[in-house]
Amino acid sequence: MKEKKSLKAWVQSGKVNRKLCIFAFMLVPVALLVVFTYIPFFKMIGFSFYDMKYIGDREFVGLQNYIEVFTRKDCFQALKLSLYYIVASFVQLALALYFASVLSFKVKGSGVFKGLMFFPYLVCGIAVGFIFKFFYTRGFVLDTVLQWCGFNLEQLPYWLKDTSINNISVAATSVWRYMGQGMVMFIGAIMSVDASLYEAGDIDGANSFQKFIYIILPNIKTIIVLNMILSITGSLSVFEPPYVITGGDFGTGTYFVIMNKLAHESQKVGLASAMAVVLLILIMIATLIQKGIEKYYFGIGDTESIREIRKRKKRMAMAGKGGTR
Amino acid sequence: MKNKVLKRMLPASLAAVMIMSLGACGQKKQVEKQEMDVTIDQITLGEDYTDIEADLKFLTHKTDVVDTTFQGYIEEFQKMYPNVNIEYEGITAYADDITTRLTTGDWGDICMIPTTVDKDELGNYFTVLGEKATLAKTYEENMLNNYSYQDTVYGLPSMANVQGVIYNKKVFEDAGVKELPKTPDEFLEALQAIKDKTDAIPLYTNFAASWTMTAWDAVIDGGATGDPDFANTGLTKGKDPFADRGDGTGPYAVYNTLYEAVKRGLTEEDPTTTDWEGSKGKLNNGEIGCMVLGSWSVIQMQQAGDHADDIGYMTFPITVDGKQYAAAGPDYNYGINCNSSKDNQIAAMCYIKWLVEESGFAQGEGGLSVVIGDEYPEALKALDGIELVVNNPAEEGEENLFNDVNNDSELGVNVSGAIATEVVEEAVSGTKTMEEMADEWNEKWTAAQESNGVEY
Repeated sequence: MKEKKSLKAWVQSGKVNRKLCIFAFMLVPVALLVVFTYIPFFKMIGFSFYDMKYIGDREFVGLQNYIEVFTRKDCFQALKLSLYYIVASFVQLALALYFASVLSFKVKGSGVFKGLMFFPYLVCGIAVGFIFKFFYTRGFVLDTVLQWCGFNLEQLPYWLKDTSINNISVAATSVWRYMGQGMVMFIGAIMSVDASLYEAGDIDGANSFQKFIYIILPNIKTIIVLNMILSITGSLSVFEPPYVITGGDFGTGTYFVIMNKLAHESQKVGLASAMAVVLLILIMIATLIQKGIEKYYFGIGDTESIREIRKRKKRMAMAGKGGTR
Repeated sequence: MKNKVLKRMLPASLAAVMIMSLGACGQKKQVEKQEMDVTIDQITLGEDYTDIEADLKFLTHKTDVVDTTFQGYIEEFQKMYPNVNIEYEGITAYADDITTRLTTGDWGDICMIPTTVDKDELGNYFTVLGEKATLAKTYEENMLNNYSYQDTVYGLPSMANVQGVIYNKKVFEDAGVKELPKTPDEFLEALQAIKDKTDAIPLYTNFAASWTMTAWDAVIDGGATGDPDFANTGLTKGKDPFADRGDGTGPYAVYNTLYEAVKRGLTEEDPTTTDWEGSKGKLNNGEIGCMVLGSWSVIQMQQAGDHADDIGYMTFPITVDGKQYAAAGPDYNYGINCNSSKDNQIAAMCYIKWLVEESGFAQGEGGLSVVIGDEYPEALKALDGIELVVNNPAEEGEENLFNDVNNDSELGVNVSGAIATEVVEEAVSGTKTMEEMADEWNEKWTAAQESNGVEY
């Protein structure tokens, strides 16, 4: 029997209602994404094939900008500075893991500690830059605190001027800022570990360190690897700390800072766009490599790592050949 | 299954559409320009257009006076033009942001024209204010050149600056410097005397602010050579402009002064953490000896503390054939959006005419007024007797040449202060000597000149 459903009834019917709901909720975020991310991104890819400024004529030059990116001395030199930030991100990871493991269990005032350590992440990047600019100024915060510890002002280096350590100073601000966020993520992951495993560990006589290595680590390895991927891609494209603290001077100018200088000071917008696209490709390659390593050594989720699978197959093959180990 | 295919088709087709739309990227923007036939010299303030109605938006870099001085100007102006409302918007990082805003076409009605707009693009963004020959009867002609194209004027200078060195008279006296230094060597000696006999920092570079380093670029042409054509024949089209001339003049002498000052420890200890706002107070109360800045800074330094009378201004210490010169040039120019409505453009013209001729803005800011016949302000009376050199405009057809060569070389003269920044870095911790750096700059400049077709 065919019933003519009114429009209202049709909209309210289960299947359509669900789809309409999904569509309506997605509409605004997707629209924002397209307008503010995808459209400018594709336009920028277009820009990278031209020799252009912001105002004025554009001249199509094809791949010349890309060739220039690879042949210029300063573009890839700047990527070397990312090594400082990558090392800093490992330090940050280690600290976050340590604090997360300590704070996951019953510690007096753990809420206060978690709040205090997470707080830097909430502060805007530019504000962090300004704070640390004054922090590192000669005779200001850091120098004064070190003087209380007994150092002489004459012995202390110029934190931002001395080219041998200024990159470390700037990378340290990054650690300060993001450690809290990593820690909170790890606390969440550690809490998802089955509590009965700890009891089993106690029965077997494991001390805290062994519990950490054998119970906690394997269960949160996905989060750790995710954190590492984010840190490494973040290190390749770091911009705020060096730009705000030193403006990229005295050898702290990372890839992104140089790109910004080219675009806004020399008006070489095409070249800067090409640099951005090259950076994107580099990040994608880095992510793929990391994912590959992860799959090989650690395995994803419940699948075993490829290394384990190969070892097992080898063992079975050898056993099959009829020999004892 | 069908959903999956659909899901894959949608982004792919969206991407295809967007890439095809890039084809439109190459074309110039087609905007609606309003028909304008009024020029600024035709307006008599207080008589013409007194009942015009308009709501104007004014983008300005002077964030420090938006709520005070400028509101006073609006009130004064509305006594003559009661139906014109003006809304100021102060932008902190003005030079960076304004270029991006201009590309939209509807950024407001009046702005300060940035240096990034090429001469041949002026007509696409700004209203014609008049013919240069006509306007030169009221305003100093050599100040109108910066934003004119083919004898049509698009920008009117808000004031004119002199480029030189601002100093604290008391600190110099205490150090025993009786006469103002006239050559780079005398200047370095004076700085050394300040270091030996007083507690003040002799020369404060304000390195960390980075825009302050462009002040060094401003003195390398007219002030360092006495030649109003140097900017064109010597710099833009000249061979190896940064080389050592051997007689203590020219760009090399200017940058070498900075290099030597930093190397001999006559500047602040840590350039990376200098503080611009704090430095104003320090210059005022004698903790800093001098700074290289334009004359626009005089008022700010005077107001930063109690010792306004100690602030003095001198030209950059270079003597050419026994004479001293000071580079002068127009400061930011007012420009009117050519896409605004006709009434808005006319009202804007009345307002900027009033600002230049009657508001006292230039004098209040310690700059020179561009109106023919106006006097020097009090703070700059010391420059009486020193010849002001204003750069001549570029020749026909070569208006963009300096910008093109400057951009291609990435030396950022008058744009980014990259040269002065490099000098400080190398003097502090680098290994390059002044000659090596000058050679590198010459190389980059020559390469940029070649790619832009400059022949000697």
